[in-house]
Amino acid sequence: MINAFRAGAYGVPFLPVGGMWGSDLVDIRPEFFQVMKSPFDGEEVVVVKALVPDYAIIHVQEADIYGNARILGPSYQDALLARAAKKTIITTERIVGTYRMQEEPKLTSIPHFLVEAVVELPGGAKPGICFPEYVKVDWDDHKAYQKAVKAGDVKAFADKMLEGRA
Amino acid sequence: MRNKLMPLSKAADLIKDGMLLAVGGNAMHRNPTLFSLELARKPLKDLKVSGAAPGIAADILMATGQADTAYFGFFGLENEAGLAPGMRKAMEGEGKARAVEGS
Repeated sequence: MINAFRAGAYGVPFLPVGGMWGSDLVDIRPEFFQVMKSPFDGEEVVVVKALVPDYAIIHVQEADIYGNARILGPSYQDALLARAAKKTIITTERIVGTYRMQEEPKLTSIPHFLVEAVVELPGGAKPGICFPEYVKVDWDDHKAYQKAVKAGDVKAFADKMLEGRA
Repeated sequence: MRNKLMPLSKAADLIKDGMLLAVGGNAMHRNPTLFSLELARKPLKDLKVSGAAPGIAADILMATGQADTAYFGFFGLENEAGLAPGMRKAMEGEGKARAVEGS
């Protein structure tokens, strides 16, 4: 998956990926994986098709109004997802002044020019975790979600979670 | 630089039927959950979700049936939160959703 997003971010149609030999996925998903010969020495390599998402949707701890975004905890693949996608939507725990980015430019995970929309959305990762803002799953809400999935009533759960938000 | 601050509902309007979305975070961690729940209230269809380890925000779109395909390396919520219930419902049994596992 990482190399599929990398190919999307680099603007190439596919990338070789090591470590896929022996996996049934190569045979099961020919629309995603293929085997080809290296043009340099004929060695066989597995290649994965590029993924170019229409939007990356990323929740962060801090962003400015222009879309410069900082991820303070673990970043996972989010900086890569933003680069692979055509455009990014940021939801953020809080809006900060651009001076925060200028103080420590290297901490900007996602720069403004990748971003189309910024939404100030405190608690935007609930009932999940957003380190270090809230570090425990809200189990009552999570159980309500699991029940809503079983009952096929996720919309009512969404209405409850978004009550009072614009 | 342009001011891109907007309300949740306006940002959610950017998402259209059939789009491929990359959903940030990991399992129960730093997912754009409330954004997904805003999408869940809309009549969207044929979405595709993707991520290396998508979690609850992508699960919501599978649970509503709005997403019919998931590209993932691992799709779950982990620890006590367990498996991803919406994804399982969409893919198991009568489920019609498509899994493209990328390892």
